[in-house]
Amino acid sequence: MIFTDYLFYLFSGILVLASLRVITANNPVYSALSLVLAFFSAAGIWLLLHAEFLAIALVLVYVGAVMVLFLFVVMMLDINIEALRQRFWSYFPVALLIALLFIFEIYLVVTDKFFSSSDPAGIPLEKSNTHSIGSVLYTDYLLPFQVAAVILLVAIISAIVLTMYGKKSHKAIDPKDQIKVNRNDRVRVVKMKSEKKK
Amino acid sequence: MLDSYFPVLLFILVGLGVGIGPLVLGKILAPHKPNDQKNSPYECGFEAFEDARMKFDVRYYLVAILFILFDLEITFLFPWAVVLDSLGLQGFIVMMIFLGILVVGFIYEWKKGALDWE
Repeated sequence: MIFTDYLFYLFSGILVLASLRVITANNPVYSALSLVLAFFSAAGIWLLLHAEFLAIALVLVYVGAVMVLFLFVVMMLDINIEALRQRFWSYFPVALLIALLFIFEIYLVVTDKFFSSSDPAGIPLEKSNTHSIGSVLYTDYLLPFQVAAVILLVAIISAIVLTMYGKKSHKAIDPKDQIKVNRNDRVRVVKMKSEKKK
Repeated sequence: MLDSYFPVLLFILVGLGVGIGPLVLGKILAPHKPNDQKNSPYECGFEAFEDARMKFDVRYYLVAILFILFDLEITFLFPWAVVLDSLGLQGFIVMMIFLGILVVGFIYEWKKGALDWE
């Protein structure tokens, strides 16, 4: 075995252990941090496969941004871990079904019956991985590239629409609110006997 | 190609060593005598009055999500910058269209006040 083989086994060992830790850790913060470790080892494996750009993008985007969001959410969420554990068995049948489906899909991909794939390490590139991606992404895959821009745009707008509230930039009244006004909300007619003069 | 990443590997190993070493040394060498007082959460001398987990403003997540989206946009710029020489004007225009679409989102975000924090 050459040195990179040892590295591969080191990274994949860490990857497997970290992934197991993600699903077994009691504290969700530990799960999220294990997921960061799993991403790092996956990036190491990709680097060994000469996929430089993917490895760096994984660290930059997933570790740098997505996991920050995950940790943000997990640390601040008001979760009662005990209550979650009680419902474990009631969710178990659905989880089992999804797990079996997932295992079946992985089986289909791995056994090469329906999806044929070439050996990822066996394709020599004349130039670096980043260069190869760039030379096709902006020419051959132009439309998917622009679709990616539109998807990002939709994501920006939907994130803002779903989470923004209340802030008003003008003082005009919304016609929608005007129509909804109910007489009973505004006026209360009180019946009472007239008082006599003393 | 992998030779050029050897310093990165060394850096990771040294970083792990510096991170793990003191923890292991502390575990082995330091005296370990816990008691109730030491194990209780410390909050400036008085009893802790609420749980650390509480409901937070959803705008924190909005900032994080917007950061992810623009981080992804930057990721697309890296291979573009590497091959721009061979792509020429066409590649430049393609990226300008890409950025143009995202600038629409950026203007919307700005005008909507998603970046403001009163």
